Amino acid sequence: MESASPSSNFSIFESKDLFTGFVDQRSWEPGWLADYRMDRWNAFSSKGSPALKDETWRFSPQSRFSLSGVKEISSDKKQLQLSKHHEGHFTFGELDKVILDSPSEISSLIECQGPDLGAKNIYHLASAFFECGFLLKTRSEIQNSEPFTIRHRLPENQSISFRKNFISLAPNSHVRVVEFIEGTNHNSKNFLGNVLHAHVGEGASLERILIQDAGSSSTVFQLDNFSVGKNGSLRNICIHLGSSQCRNEIKGQLIDEGAEFDNFSLFLGTGEQLLDQRTMQLHLAPNCRSNLISKNALSGESKSIFSGMIKVLPGAMNTNSYQTNRNLLLSNEAEADSMPGLEILANEVKCSHGATTSKIDDQELFYLLSRGIPQKSAEKLISLGFLEEIISEINDEKLIESIRARIESKFD
Amino acid sequence: MIQANEFDFDANKGNFHYDTQYAFDAGVGLNEDVVRYISEIKKEEPWLLDFRLKALETFRRKPLPTHWATQDLRNINFDVIRYYLAKGQQPSRSWEDVPEDVKETFERLGIPEQERKFLAGVEAQFDSEAAYSRMKEDLEKEGVIFVGSTEGLREHPEIFKKWFGKVIPTSDNKFSALNSSVFSGGSFIYVPPGVKLAQPLQAYFRINAENFGQFERTLIIADEGAELTYMEGCTAPKFETSTLHSAVVELVALKGAKIQYVTVQNWSNNVFNLVTKRAIAEEESEVRWIDCNIGSRLTMKYPGVILRGRKSRGEVLSIALANNGQHQDTGAKMVHAAEETTSNIIAKSVSIGTGRSSYRGLVRMPKHLRHCRNNTECDALLINSDSQTDTYPAISVQGDDNSVQHEATVSKVSAEQIFYMQQRGLNEAEAMSLCVNGFVNDLIREFPMEYSVELKRLIDLEMEGSVG
Repeated sequence: MESASPSSNFSIFESKDLFTGFVDQRSWEPGWLADYRMDRWNAFSSKGSPALKDETWRFSPQSRFSLSGVKEISSDKKQLQLSKHHEGHFTFGELDKVILDSPSEISSLIECQGPDLGAKNIYHLASAFFECGFLLKTRSEIQNSEPFTIRHRLPENQSISFRKNFISLAPNSHVRVVEFIEGTNHNSKNFLGNVLHAHVGEGASLERILIQDAGSSSTVFQLDNFSVGKNGSLRNICIHLGSSQCRNEIKGQLIDEGAEFDNFSLFLGTGEQLLDQRTMQLHLAPNCRSNLISKNALSGESKSIFSGMIKVLPGAMNTNSYQTNRNLLLSNEAEADSMPGLEILANEVKCSHGATTSKIDDQELFYLLSRGIPQKSAEKLISLGFLEEIISEINDEKLIESIRARIESKFD
Repeated sequence: MIQANEFDFDANKGNFHYDTQYAFDAGVGLNEDVVRYISEIKKEEPWLLDFRLKALETFRRKPLPTHWATQDLRNINFDVIRYYLAKGQQPSRSWEDVPEDVKETFERLGIPEQERKFLAGVEAQFDSEAAYSRMKEDLEKEGVIFVGSTEGLREHPEIFKKWFGKVIPTSDNKFSALNSSVFSGGSFIYVPPGVKLAQPLQAYFRINAENFGQFERTLIIADEGAELTYMEGCTAPKFETSTLHSAVVELVALKGAKIQYVTVQNWSNNVFNLVTKRAIAEEESEVRWIDCNIGSRLTMKYPGVILRGRKSRGEVLSIALANNGQHQDTGAKMVHAAEETTSNIIAKSVSIGTGRSSYRGLVRMPKHLRHCRNNTECDALLINSDSQTDTYPAISVQGDDNSVQHEATVSKVSAEQIFYMQQRGLNEAEAMSLCVNGFVNDLIREFPMEYSVELKRLIDLEMEGSVG
């Protein structure tokens, strides 16, 4: 089931010279950052290969996530573009500039842990080698109607770009962040190791939308670790359309009373695309709510893996937590693997999960065919309807229109 | 209505043991000599000794599955376990011939009574070997075979050798390898084509000695169009040190056959119960595992069905009760390997005190198949604030004409429900028992009547003192 461990494939990263060379070029960085990079690099190199049958990689063809095709680490900072904003009670900027101008902004954030749902190697590498990323930090109550937009471009062929991104919301600030992962060159075998740490403060709310539309030969690792404070609220919406293979880890930690976490994701798979999604809804405090819906429509030889865990720790009473995975198989070669999970250590809870996998309903298809709609269009319409539940969670008509158009184009 | 009979359901009923003189004792620990000793006593053919020795190698080579299973497995000390203990008994055909102390054991557990009432055949295993085995004569005339593993392989190799170790290969897991090397006892059953047993066959497993490992081996073959129900019950006294029970159960349902396998496991709380159970279902056959796990320290048991024939059907109905210090790690596996196959899994668990119950499932449908269906429902009930429950299903589906649905819920008995019943004069414990019984009720109905009445009573017993 599982193939060889990924670490045996980290060929260029196994030499220490690569790391020392990388650090030498960054003598301008503060000492604590150099220490941190060193620390992460040691963690990576001492970590040994994960067990062959590691549950966190179950069903995943690990060879497809190998980094053996990586020849260099990209240092092109233009791959990251941020939207422009008038000055306000916030910091929004490229991480390398923040480190240069006001390193104290991130010194407290840098130690944030990764989601730790399996791709630990990538987390360590991204932490040791990150070149850029963004920081969004609010200082007091802000209500920004303009979303903060970040465009992540993928690097050159055979190179990898590591990024660390931080969002930190002060109490009662309300923010929307839209991230695009874009690649236009479909022949380019490039890689992205993207890590996001986000903290939602007391009474604050974050809506984060990720549109992953990398080139069709790309490999994307997107590791998201969220924590939500007292009465805070987080909505995370992921739209996966591009890349050859994508590993998306999402951890939402509800760390104080009254926190809420909603996670919606869709994946439209064509060709041989693979989405390997691992999620964790971690309830650490009482009276919190979380809900997760993951929908995958799979055609061609595409494959989706959904592994979701609801974990309720002792004392997290009055937890309400739900998880739904729906897979629509549009071809005979498509594959959907589903591992919804529950680990409940408190008794005053309402938790449930559901997972279904099936083809298009015959009656729905018949209804459309009998009205003269050709089979192909009918299947497309039903698939769009299936994915619409996720799309409609986005509160931005313009964005929705562009996503719909992109999805439709994938069917042609 | 059938009167409820006294089977093994009283929580303390199995908690007694006799000092018994054993004629055959393979000693403590596991090595090649122990395996040779067991094989020699049984006067086995060379191929079987080879099979056992190879299995021993496999057992030594295989790691404990602790990368996904509980670390508690590391507490099993394979070197202090006794692997074979027998009084030199041949299974007695008449109750009078059973040795006095063994007879007393099973009489206390109500076996003869049970048999007179409704069984077509019964076998009672005391430590490593069967002490008593009897089947109604008319069934014998119809060609039904119901014997122990030694006799089965020796007297009827033409029937049993073909399937022995084929449903569950030695190397399936560490514990199936262990069983393959030291197995003794168990039931080998063959039901000829078209024979439908109206009454169930029953086996009764009893561990009497301390530090003992019971490794029974069961193989049931239902030939074309045959039908049978098999029931097994298990107990052991409460010793200070832990005991290991590691069985391998293989079922073969040939074309159009129906097998129903009912287990009620009520081991005492020091038993590691690590059992591999799997069935092969041929065309249009049906296999049902009905499983109730109440006792033991750790149970790991995932009955599976390989749906190999068109239109075959597999079902697992499972109830688990995890009380203080217990871990019930149970589940089901459904491997769809033919078209139009259907499977159904319904698992309910109750965690009481510090008890932990886990559901682990596997459903697989490969792409060349069409019209396969699976339905899985797992419901967990938590009684106290330190109770724990987990659900770990793995579902892999290919192909655009198969469908799977899985659903799991976790809940507790609500304060409103308890309040409602207290208003009507029930005390809190009674109200809680009623809720728990209501939670498992639709599954308990699937058990044979005699079992379901007693199961309800046992749940009441387990619930005692759990409130407050």
